[in-house]
Amino acid sequence: MVRVTGNFQSESPLHPKAFEVLHAAFDNGWANPGKLSQSGSKANQVRNQALESIAAALKVPVDSIFAFSSMSLGYYLGIQGLLKDSLTLVHGATDRKDVFAIASRTSHQVLPSALDGKLISPSQKSPNSVLALSAANAETGVIQECEAIIRSVNTDRIFLDATAIGIRGQITPNYSTAIFDSRSWYGPSEIGLLVIKDKSQWSNPLPHLNAAHPNFDASLPLLLASAVALENFSSEVEDANKRAREFNWQLRDYFAHIPDVDIAGSLDSSLAHLLSASFMNCNGEELLRAIQSDGFSVDSGSACTADNLEPSHVLAAMGVLTHGNIRITIHPETTQEEIDSLKSSIKKNVERLRS
Amino acid sequence: MIEIDARGLRCPQPIIELGKKIDELKSGDELFLYSDDPATEPDLNAWARMTGNKFSKIENAKFLITKI
Repeated sequence: MVRVTGNFQSESPLHPKAFEVLHAAFDNGWANPGKLSQSGSKANQVRNQALESIAAALKVPVDSIFAFSSMSLGYYLGIQGLLKDSLTLVHGATDRKDVFAIASRTSHQVLPSALDGKLISPSQKSPNSVLALSAANAETGVIQECEAIIRSVNTDRIFLDATAIGIRGQITPNYSTAIFDSRSWYGPSEIGLLVIKDKSQWSNPLPHLNAAHPNFDASLPLLLASAVALENFSSEVEDANKRAREFNWQLRDYFAHIPDVDIAGSLDSSLAHLLSASFMNCNGEELLRAIQSDGFSVDSGSACTADNLEPSHVLAAMGVLTHGNIRITIHPETTQEEIDSLKSSIKKNVERLRS
Repeated sequence: MIEIDARGLRCPQPIIELGKKIDELKSGDELFLYSDDPATEPDLNAWARMTGNKFSKIENAKFLITKI
Protein backbone atom coordinates (compact mmCIF):
# COMPACT_ATOMS: atom_id res chain seq x y z
CA MET A 1 0.00 0.00 0.00
CA VAL A 2 1.29 3.46 -0.91
CA ARG A 3 1.66 5.77 2.05
CA VAL A 4 -0.46 8.90 1.71
CA THR A 5 1.95 11.80 2.06
CA GLY A 6 -0.36 14.55 0.93
CA ASN A 7 -3.89 14.86 2.28
CA PHE A 8 -5.99 16.98 -0.05
CA GLN A 9 -9.32 15.50 1.04
CA SER A 10 -11.95 17.53 2.87
CA GLU A 11 -11.52 15.34 5.94
CA SER A 12 -8.57 16.36 8.01
CA PRO A 13 -7.02 15.53 11.35
CA LEU A 14 -8.28 17.41 14.38
CA HIS A 15 -6.50 20.58 15.34
CA PRO A 16 -3.68 19.34 17.64
CA LYS A 17 -4.95 21.47 20.56
CA ALA A 18 -8.44 20.03 20.12
CA PHE A 19 -7.04 16.53 20.12
CA GLU A 20 -5.31 17.20 23.45
CA VAL A 21 -8.58 18.39 24.99
CA LEU A 22 -10.55 15.46 23.59
CA HIS A 23 -7.97 13.02 24.87
CA ALA A 24 -8.02 14.56 28.35
CA ALA A 25 -11.83 14.62 28.44
CA PHE A 26 -12.11 10.95 27.56
CA ASP A 27 -9.35 10.16 30.07
CA ASN A 28 -11.03 11.99 32.94
CA GLY A 29 -14.66 11.29 32.08
CA TRP A 30 -17.44 13.84 32.32
CA ALA A 31 -20.74 14.22 34.07
CA ASN A 32 -24.14 15.05 32.63
CA PRO A 33 -24.32 18.88 32.58
CA GLY A 34 -28.08 18.61 33.14
CA LYS A 35 -27.71 16.98 36.57
CA LEU A 36 -27.63 18.94 39.82
CA SER A 37 -24.73 17.02 41.33
CA GLN A 38 -21.40 18.74 41.98
CA SER A 39 -19.79 17.03 38.99
CA GLY A 40 -22.86 17.85 36.90
CA SER A 41 -22.63 21.54 37.84
CA LYS A 42 -18.96 21.56 36.97
CA ALA A 43 -19.68 19.94 33.62
CA ASN A 44 -22.39 22.54 32.99
CA GLN A 45 -19.95 25.34 33.81
CA VAL A 46 -17.38 23.92 31.39
CA ARG A 47 -20.09 23.55 28.73
CA ASN A 48 -21.16 27.18 29.17
CA GLN A 49 -17.55 28.36 28.93
CA ALA A 50 -17.16 26.42 25.68
CA LEU A 51 -20.33 28.00 24.26
CA GLU A 52 -19.16 31.47 25.36
CA SER A 53 -15.84 30.92 23.63
CA ILE A 54 -17.54 29.75 20.43
CA ALA A 55 -20.05 32.60 20.52
CA ALA A 56 -17.24 35.15 20.93
CA ALA A 57 -15.32 33.70 17.97
CA LEU A 58 -18.45 33.68 15.80
CA LYS A 59 -19.36 37.16 17.06
CA VAL A 60 -22.88 36.17 18.16
CA PRO A 61 -24.61 36.44 21.56
CA VAL A 62 -24.06 33.34 23.67
CA ASP A 63 -27.78 32.90 24.32
CA SER A 64 -28.38 32.58 20.56
CA ILE A 65 -26.13 29.58 20.05
CA PHE A 66 -26.97 25.88 20.39
CA ALA A 67 -24.86 22.81 19.73
CA PHE A 68 -26.19 19.82 17.82
CA SER A 69 -24.74 16.45 16.96
CA SER A 70 -25.51 15.75 13.31
CA MET A 71 -25.27 18.11 10.35
CA SER A 72 -28.50 16.80 8.81
CA LEU A 73 -30.25 17.64 12.08
CA GLY A 74 -28.74 21.13 11.92
CA TYR A 75 -30.23 21.78 8.48
CA TYR A 76 -33.61 20.56 9.70
CA LEU A 77 -33.54 22.70 12.84
CA GLY A 78 -32.35 25.80 11.01
CA ILE A 79 -34.77 25.61 8.07
CA GLN A 80 -37.82 23.78 9.39
CA GLY A 81 -37.83 25.99 12.49
CA LEU A 82 -38.49 29.01 10.25
CA LEU A 83 -41.04 27.34 7.97
CA LYS A 84 -44.75 27.78 8.51
CA ASP A 85 -47.49 26.08 6.51
CA SER A 86 -48.08 28.91 4.07
CA LEU A 87 -44.44 29.66 3.35
CA THR A 88 -42.42 28.56 0.31
CA LEU A 89 -38.84 27.41 0.73
CA VAL A 90 -36.55 29.22 -1.73
CA HIS A 91 -33.11 27.68 -2.07
CA GLY A 92 -30.18 27.33 -4.44
CA ALA A 93 -29.52 24.59 -7.01
CA THR A 94 -26.06 24.13 -5.53
CA ASP A 95 -27.23 23.69 -1.93
CA ARG A 96 -26.50 20.59 0.11
CA LYS A 97 -28.71 17.55 -0.42
CA ASP A 98 -30.06 18.05 3.11
CA VAL A 99 -31.74 21.25 1.90
CA PHE A 100 -33.25 19.45 -1.10
CA ALA A 101 -34.57 16.76 1.25
CA ILE A 102 -36.38 19.36 3.38
CA ALA A 103 -37.64 21.18 0.26
CA SER A 104 -39.08 17.95 -1.16
CA ARG A 105 -41.64 17.94 1.65
CA THR A 106 -42.89 21.47 1.14
CA SER A 107 -43.68 24.10 -1.48
CA HIS A 108 -40.35 25.21 -2.87
CA GLN A 109 -38.53 27.21 -5.54
CA VAL A 110 -35.00 26.45 -6.72
CA LEU A 111 -32.71 29.32 -7.74
CA PRO A 112 -30.57 28.17 -10.70
CA SER A 113 -26.83 28.59 -10.81
CA ALA A 114 -24.77 30.44 -13.38
CA LEU A 115 -21.59 28.89 -14.79
CA ASP A 116 -19.51 30.75 -12.21
CA GLY A 117 -21.46 29.07 -9.39
CA LYS A 118 -23.31 32.23 -8.36
CA LEU A 119 -27.06 31.79 -7.89
CA ILE A 120 -29.30 33.68 -10.27
CA SER A 121 -31.64 35.98 -8.36
CA PRO A 122 -35.36 35.44 -8.97
CA SER A 123 -37.19 37.96 -11.14
CA GLN A 124 -40.04 38.20 -8.63
CA LYS A 125 -39.85 38.83 -4.91
CA SER A 126 -41.11 36.11 -2.56
CA PRO A 127 -41.96 37.82 0.73
CA ASN A 128 -43.94 34.77 1.89
CA SER A 129 -40.97 32.49 1.87
CA VAL A 130 -38.05 31.13 3.81
CA LEU A 131 -34.77 31.67 1.98
CA ALA A 132 -32.15 28.96 2.52
CA LEU A 133 -28.84 30.33 1.39
CA SER A 134 -25.38 28.83 1.41
CA ALA A 135 -22.68 31.42 2.14
CA ALA A 136 -20.14 29.31 0.25
CA ASN A 137 -20.24 25.98 -1.51
CA ALA A 138 -18.43 23.08 0.13
CA GLU A 139 -17.50 21.43 -3.19
CA THR A 140 -16.34 24.35 -5.30
CA GLY A 141 -15.68 27.00 -2.66
CA VAL A 142 -17.76 29.55 -4.61
CA ILE A 143 -18.90 32.35 -2.31
CA GLN A 144 -22.44 33.58 -2.89
CA GLU A 145 -23.42 37.22 -3.17
CA CYS A 146 -25.83 36.81 -0.27
CA GLU A 147 -26.96 40.41 0.08
CA ALA A 148 -28.10 40.61 -3.56
CA ILE A 149 -30.07 37.37 -3.28
CA ILE A 150 -31.62 38.40 0.02
CA ARG A 151 -32.74 41.71 -1.54
CA SER A 152 -34.19 39.96 -4.58
CA VAL A 153 -36.17 37.39 -2.57
CA ASN A 154 -37.19 40.04 -0.03
CA THR A 155 -38.09 37.82 2.91
CA ASP A 156 -37.10 38.36 6.51
CA ARG A 157 -36.85 34.61 7.19
CA ILE A 158 -33.38 33.59 6.13
CA PHE A 159 -31.46 30.42 6.89
CA LEU A 160 -27.73 30.72 6.28
CA ASP A 161 -25.60 27.65 5.67
CA ALA A 162 -22.18 28.70 6.97
CA THR A 163 -20.85 25.15 7.22
CA ALA A 164 -18.28 25.57 4.44
CA ILE A 165 -17.23 29.15 5.06
CA GLY A 166 -16.94 28.85 8.84
CA ILE A 167 -14.62 31.67 9.90
CA ARG A 168 -12.70 31.75 6.60
CA GLY A 169 -14.65 34.72 5.28
CA GLN A 170 -17.24 37.36 6.07
CA ILE A 171 -20.86 36.27 6.28
CA THR A 172 -23.94 38.39 5.94
CA PRO A 173 -25.38 39.53 9.28
CA ASN A 174 -28.87 39.42 7.75
CA TYR A 175 -29.97 35.94 8.71
CA SER A 176 -32.57 34.47 11.04
CA THR A 177 -30.83 31.16 11.66
CA ALA A 178 -27.41 29.91 10.66
CA ILE A 179 -25.46 26.71 11.07
CA PHE A 180 -21.73 26.16 11.35
CA ASP A 181 -19.76 22.91 11.06
CA SER A 182 -17.01 22.34 13.61
CA ARG A 183 -14.89 20.66 10.91
CA SER A 184 -14.52 23.99 9.10
CA TRP A 185 -12.16 25.12 11.89
CA TYR A 186 -10.55 21.68 12.32
CA GLY A 187 -12.76 20.70 15.22
CA PRO A 188 -14.32 17.24 15.52
CA SER A 189 -16.96 15.96 13.14
CA GLU A 190 -20.56 15.34 14.18
CA ILE A 191 -20.83 18.64 15.98
CA GLY A 192 -22.39 21.77 14.62
CA LEU A 193 -23.61 25.09 15.95
CA LEU A 194 -27.04 26.56 15.34
CA VAL A 195 -27.40 30.32 15.75
CA ILE A 196 -30.94 31.62 16.24
CA LYS A 197 -30.88 35.39 15.92
CA ASP A 198 -34.54 36.10 16.49
CA LYS A 199 -36.27 33.50 18.63
CA SER A 200 -39.68 34.95 17.78
CA GLN A 201 -39.23 33.73 14.18
CA TRP A 202 -38.14 30.23 15.12
CA SER A 203 -40.01 27.35 16.70
CA ASN A 204 -38.44 24.04 17.58
CA PRO A 205 -39.56 21.60 14.85
CA LEU A 206 -38.70 18.55 16.97
CA PRO A 207 -41.32 17.05 19.29
CA HIS A 208 -40.78 18.66 22.68
CA LEU A 209 -42.52 19.26 26.01
CA ASN A 210 -40.72 22.34 27.24
CA ALA A 211 -40.03 25.09 24.71
CA ALA A 212 -37.48 26.69 27.06
CA HIS A 213 -35.18 23.65 26.87
CA PRO A 214 -34.07 22.57 23.39
CA ASN A 215 -34.19 18.79 23.12
CA PHE A 216 -31.03 18.58 21.04
CA ASP A 217 -27.47 18.87 22.23
CA ALA A 218 -23.97 17.64 21.52
CA SER A 219 -21.43 15.55 23.38
CA LEU A 220 -19.58 17.66 25.95
CA PRO A 221 -16.04 16.47 25.01
CA LEU A 222 -16.72 17.18 21.33
CA LEU A 223 -18.05 20.63 22.22
CA LEU A 224 -14.93 21.41 24.28
CA ALA A 225 -12.65 20.18 21.50
CA SER A 226 -14.60 22.25 18.98
CA ALA A 227 -14.28 25.38 21.12
CA VAL A 228 -10.53 24.89 21.52
CA ALA A 229 -10.08 24.22 17.79
CA LEU A 230 -12.04 27.37 16.95
CA GLU A 231 -10.12 29.50 19.43
CA ASN A 232 -6.81 28.35 17.94
CA PHE A 233 -7.84 28.42 14.29
CA SER A 234 -9.17 31.97 14.76
CA SER A 235 -5.60 33.14 15.23
CA GLU A 236 -4.32 31.02 12.33
CA VAL A 237 -7.03 31.53 9.72
CA GLU A 238 -5.57 34.65 8.13
CA ASP A 239 -2.24 32.94 7.44
CA ALA A 240 -4.00 29.73 6.39
CA ASN A 241 -6.11 31.64 3.85
CA LYS A 242 -3.09 33.50 2.52
CA ARG A 243 -1.08 30.32 1.98
CA ALA A 244 -4.07 28.49 0.52
CA ARG A 245 -4.71 31.33 -1.94
CA GLU A 246 -1.12 31.19 -3.18
CA PHE A 247 -1.27 27.38 -3.58
CA ASN A 248 -4.71 27.52 -5.19
CA TRP A 249 -3.47 30.09 -7.70
CA GLN A 250 -0.46 27.88 -8.53
CA LEU A 251 -2.74 24.87 -9.14
CA ARG A 252 -5.16 26.86 -11.32
CA ASP A 253 -2.31 28.36 -13.32
CA TYR A 254 -0.80 24.91 -13.86
CA PHE A 255 -4.11 23.28 -14.82
CA ALA A 256 -4.79 26.05 -17.33
CA HIS A 257 -1.94 24.61 -19.42
CA ILE A 258 -3.53 21.14 -19.54
CA PRO A 259 -5.97 20.87 -22.49
CA ASP A 260 -9.72 20.42 -21.88
CA VAL A 261 -9.85 21.19 -18.18
CA ASP A 262 -12.92 22.78 -16.59
CA ILE A 263 -12.34 24.58 -13.29
CA ALA A 264 -15.38 25.43 -11.18
CA GLY A 265 -15.59 29.09 -10.21
CA SER A 266 -12.90 31.75 -10.06
CA LEU A 267 -10.40 32.13 -7.25
CA ASP A 268 -11.42 35.76 -6.68
CA SER A 269 -14.89 34.72 -5.59
CA SER A 270 -14.14 31.40 -3.91
CA LEU A 271 -12.82 30.06 -0.64
CA ALA A 272 -9.07 29.87 -1.08
CA HIS A 273 -8.63 26.37 0.29
CA LEU A 274 -11.00 24.61 -2.15
CA LEU A 275 -10.55 23.78 -5.82
CA SER A 276 -12.67 21.62 -8.12
CA ALA A 277 -11.28 20.73 -11.56
CA SER A 278 -12.63 18.35 -14.21
CA PHE A 279 -10.48 16.79 -16.94
CA MET A 280 -12.41 15.85 -20.07
CA ASN A 281 -12.16 12.25 -21.27
CA CYS A 282 -10.76 11.04 -17.95
CA ASN A 283 -12.52 8.61 -15.64
CA GLY A 284 -12.83 10.28 -12.22
CA GLU A 285 -12.40 7.06 -10.28
CA GLU A 286 -9.34 5.99 -12.25
CA LEU A 287 -7.82 9.44 -11.90
CA LEU A 288 -8.47 9.49 -8.16
CA ARG A 289 -6.89 6.05 -7.72
CA ALA A 290 -3.90 6.93 -9.90
CA ILE A 291 -3.25 10.07 -7.88
CA GLN A 292 -3.68 8.04 -4.70
CA SER A 293 -1.08 5.55 -5.89
CA ASP A 294 1.34 8.49 -6.07
CA GLY A 295 0.60 9.18 -2.39
CA PHE A 296 -2.05 11.88 -2.61
CA SER A 297 -5.64 11.66 -1.42
CA VAL A 298 -8.21 13.90 -3.10
CA ASP A 299 -12.01 13.90 -3.37
CA SER A 300 -14.15 13.65 -6.51
CA GLY A 301 -17.62 14.73 -7.59
CA SER A 302 -17.76 12.36 -10.56
CA ALA A 303 -20.62 9.88 -10.80
CA CYS A 304 -18.29 6.90 -10.97
CA THR A 305 -16.94 7.77 -7.50
CA ALA A 306 -20.37 8.19 -5.86
CA ASP A 307 -22.36 5.48 -4.11
CA ASN A 308 -25.48 6.25 -6.17
CA LEU A 309 -23.57 6.68 -9.47
CA GLU A 310 -25.10 10.16 -9.81
CA PRO A 311 -22.80 13.04 -10.78
CA SER A 312 -22.31 15.95 -8.41
CA HIS A 313 -25.51 17.98 -8.47
CA VAL A 314 -23.39 21.08 -7.78
CA LEU A 315 -21.25 20.67 -10.91
CA ALA A 316 -24.32 19.71 -12.96
CA ALA A 317 -26.23 22.80 -11.77
CA MET A 318 -23.29 25.03 -12.69
CA GLY A 319 -22.87 23.39 -16.10
CA VAL A 320 -19.32 22.30 -15.27
CA LEU A 321 -18.01 18.98 -16.56
CA THR A 322 -18.90 16.30 -14.03
CA HIS A 323 -16.63 13.50 -15.21
CA GLY A 324 -12.89 13.38 -14.57
CA ASN A 325 -13.45 15.56 -11.53
CA ILE A 326 -11.13 15.97 -8.57
CA ARG A 327 -11.67 18.17 -5.54
CA ILE A 328 -8.65 19.50 -3.73
CA THR A 329 -8.72 20.84 -0.18
CA ILE A 330 -5.65 22.80 0.88
CA HIS A 331 -5.02 22.46 4.61
CA PRO A 332 -2.92 24.72 6.84
CA GLU A 333 -0.17 22.08 6.98
CA THR A 334 -0.01 21.66 3.17
CA THR A 335 3.52 22.32 1.90
CA GLN A 336 4.91 23.75 -1.33
CA GLU A 337 6.60 20.41 -1.99
CA GLU A 338 3.24 18.60 -1.74
CA ILE A 339 1.61 21.08 -4.14
CA ASP A 340 4.42 20.66 -6.67
CA SER A 341 4.26 16.86 -6.45
CA LEU A 342 0.45 16.86 -6.68
CA LYS A 343 0.56 19.01 -9.81
CA SER A 344 3.00 16.62 -11.48
CA SER A 345 0.97 13.59 -10.45
CA ILE A 346 -2.27 15.02 -11.86
CA LYS A 347 -0.71 16.05 -15.19
CA LYS A 348 1.06 12.71 -15.61
CA ASN A 349 -2.06 10.69 -14.82
CA VAL A 350 -4.43 12.82 -16.93
CA GLU A 351 -2.13 12.37 -19.92
CA ARG A 352 -1.84 8.62 -19.31
CA LEU A 353 -5.60 8.11 -18.92
CA ARG A 354 -6.31 10.08 -22.08
CA SER A 355 -3.80 8.18 -24.20
CA MET B 1 -26.96 9.87 -40.04
CA ILE B 2 -24.20 8.54 -37.79
CA GLU B 3 -25.43 7.03 -34.54
CA ILE B 4 -23.43 6.29 -31.42
CA ASP B 5 -25.10 3.78 -29.15
CA ALA B 6 -23.56 4.36 -25.73
CA ARG B 7 -26.48 2.93 -23.77
CA GLY B 8 -25.25 0.93 -20.83
CA LEU B 9 -21.90 2.73 -20.78
CA ARG B 10 -21.01 4.78 -17.70
CA CYS B 11 -19.37 8.19 -17.63
CA PRO B 12 -17.07 9.29 -19.16
CA GLN B 13 -17.34 6.63 -21.90
CA PRO B 14 -20.28 8.22 -23.81
CA ILE B 15 -18.39 11.53 -24.06
CA ILE B 16 -15.17 9.74 -25.04
CA GLU B 17 -17.02 7.85 -27.81
CA LEU B 18 -18.56 11.13 -28.97
CA GLY B 19 -15.13 12.79 -28.97
CA LYS B 20 -13.73 10.08 -31.24
CA LYS B 21 -16.54 10.42 -33.79
CA ILE B 22 -16.86 14.19 -33.81
CA ASP B 23 -13.34 14.56 -35.20
CA GLU B 24 -14.42 12.64 -38.30
CA LEU B 25 -17.28 15.05 -39.03
CA LYS B 26 -17.35 18.23 -41.11
CA SER B 27 -18.81 21.51 -39.90
CA GLY B 28 -22.62 21.30 -39.97
CA ASP B 29 -22.71 17.49 -39.80
CA GLU B 30 -25.00 15.90 -37.23
CA LEU B 31 -25.08 12.65 -35.31
CA PHE B 32 -27.31 10.97 -32.77
CA LEU B 33 -25.88 9.98 -29.40
CA TYR B 34 -27.83 7.42 -27.39
CA SER B 35 -26.87 7.37 -23.73
CA ASP B 36 -28.78 6.49 -20.58
CA ASP B 37 -26.02 7.49 -18.18
CA PRO B 38 -27.28 10.23 -15.80
CA ALA B 39 -24.04 12.18 -16.21
CA THR B 40 -24.32 12.46 -20.01
CA GLU B 41 -26.79 15.35 -20.21
CA PRO B 42 -24.96 17.66 -17.78
CA ASP B 43 -21.66 16.65 -19.36
CA LEU B 44 -22.95 17.43 -22.86
CA ASN B 45 -23.66 20.97 -21.61
CA ALA B 46 -20.05 21.36 -20.55
CA TRP B 47 -18.71 19.48 -23.59
CA ALA B 48 -20.59 21.78 -25.98
CA ARG B 49 -19.31 24.88 -24.19
CA MET B 50 -15.72 23.61 -24.13
CA THR B 51 -15.57 22.29 -27.72
CA GLY B 52 -17.83 24.87 -29.40
CA ASN B 53 -20.18 22.18 -30.77
CA LYS B 54 -23.94 22.02 -30.16
CA PHE B 55 -26.36 19.46 -28.79
CA SER B 56 -30.06 19.16 -28.18
CA LYS B 57 -32.05 16.54 -26.31
CA ILE B 58 -34.45 14.77 -28.67
CA GLU B 59 -35.99 12.43 -26.13
CA ASN B 60 -34.94 10.50 -23.08
CA ALA B 61 -31.46 9.04 -23.69
CA LYS B 62 -31.28 10.46 -27.26
CA PHE B 63 -29.27 13.55 -28.16
CA LEU B 64 -28.68 15.33 -31.48
CA ILE B 65 -25.10 16.55 -31.82
CA THR B 66 -24.11 19.20 -34.37
CA LYS B 67 -20.48 19.77 -35.30
CA ILE B 68 -19.71 23.48 -35.57
